[in-house]
Amino acid sequence: MNSAIHALLIGFRATIANVRANVQTFFISVVTIAISIGILGLFLIIFFNLNGFFASWNQQVQLIAYLKDDISLSQKNNLEELFKTNARVQSTEEVSKDRAWQEFRLSQAERSGLELDLGFNPLPASYRIRFKMSDNRLLHISEFAEKIQKLPGVESVEYGKNWISRFEKFMVFCRVFLMATGALLSFGLILIISNTIRLSIYSRQDEIELMLLIGATPHFVKIPFLLEGMLQGLCGSLLSLGLMGVIYYYLKSEFQASIESIARGMDFQFISEPFLLILVGASVLIGLVASYISTYQYMQVLNKR
Amino acid sequence: MIQLFNVIKKYGSGNPALDDISLKIERGEFVFLTGPSGAGKTTILKVLFGWEDFEEGQVLVQGINVGKLNADNMHTLRRSIGVIFQDYKLLTNKTVFENVAFAQEVTNRDRKTIKFKTWEALKNVGLTPKKDSFPPQLSGGEQQRVAIARAMVNAPPIILADEPTGNLDQEISLEILKLFEELNRNGATIVFATHNQDILKLGNHRVITLNRGKVVSS
Repeated sequence: MNSAIHALLIGFRATIANVRANVQTFFISVVTIAISIGILGLFLIIFFNLNGFFASWNQQVQLIAYLKDDISLSQKNNLEELFKTNARVQSTEEVSKDRAWQEFRLSQAERSGLELDLGFNPLPASYRIRFKMSDNRLLHISEFAEKIQKLPGVESVEYGKNWISRFEKFMVFCRVFLMATGALLSFGLILIISNTIRLSIYSRQDEIELMLLIGATPHFVKIPFLLEGMLQGLCGSLLSLGLMGVIYYYLKSEFQASIESIARGMDFQFISEPFLLILVGASVLIGLVASYISTYQYMQVLNKR
Repeated sequence: MIQLFNVIKKYGSGNPALDDISLKIERGEFVFLTGPSGAGKTTILKVLFGWEDFEEGQVLVQGINVGKLNADNMHTLRRSIGVIFQDYKLLTNKTVFENVAFAQEVTNRDRKTIKFKTWEALKNVGLTPKKDSFPPQLSGGEQQRVAIARAMVNAPPIILADEPTGNLDQEISLEILKLFEELNRNGATIVFATHNQDILKLGNHRVITLNRGKVVSS
């Protein structure tokens, strides 16, 4: 245990020496990592905010059941009974033909300043049904809509099905896009860090050979370079997230009011804490993998002599 | 202590660098390995500390079968050998003290022991006043003495020296030879490769002569 700690301490010292000997290369690598993590972080921020927008929109979705003009009292009672017995329904509101027409005329007058007068009322009566919040709220709405659509006395149902389905598809695309971008950037980062570590190895080639000559274990030789790769990943991700944090707070203070007016109740979000940790962890892991590849390849070449 | 049985080592498709070499060096012996350039002196040393592999034969060092070692356990052999080179192989960005201490750091010794042993090794080669100097600030003889201090600091039972006086004048060479003889008196087995006939005459030790990868006399 003591010898492991000792080896690690020596490894840390050698890592610092490596960084000092190649400050410029280390800095370039850290900035490249920061840019890559920044790109990924930006996509994540967009994704989180779209998700937030979708969630706030989801809360506002309600089911409207339009009734036929000739609906009978017993058919209406049947419908109301169905609403009452569905545990997921929060509230129902009956909108008569007259009220619907009145509301429509009022909203038209507000928008265009014109008073509508057709001489007849073309709008049907309806029920506005609100659902309780739950994980599968949209699914429940869609299932219930299908059920009542077939009932006698119901003309049609409306809950923005097409929009919801389009938005859901868009979010799936966003997820796939994020994963593909993440994978591509990770691959690029592995190549960049691995090259930086290779440079670091070549700059200390004499020292490495000497270490092996005087009885160092392969692990002892590899540790400083593995630590250097991890350090690059850590510094790059922290630099990137730090900068993104600053930009985020600036944008939030400047534009939060505008965002709220566009999407009511929506808060401009940063990357969530678990994802921040995942980004930093992934970056450190990428650094480790990249430096492992370089040191492994170099040691293979040495061993083949 | 050191035994080679019918060792053959080839570089590419040319003549073998070591051609069916068999020899034995006893514990505590001081042996000169000599021969013209290309005779195989350096190759034998490299084979002994596992830096070069070989095609045929067997090599035993301290009871370790060198041919059976791999990258992961090679350090067990190398920790029992101190190696000295003609070009010293000192780290120019480290001080004299750090160069000698470095050989112990890789073996995971604690700092206190490292400090004590390094000081002792530098005292033995007469370099304590230069402990904070960097190798380029030293003369050839002084650099070679640092290399000797580094090789002996872990008290290995075997010391292999590849032309350690090759870059030095006669007077300094003699000083270096005396240092090796001192190490030998303290129990180390020394294999000293040189083509310098004056050194061979000065040291009254067994001489193994190689030519074109073969042992000519032993």
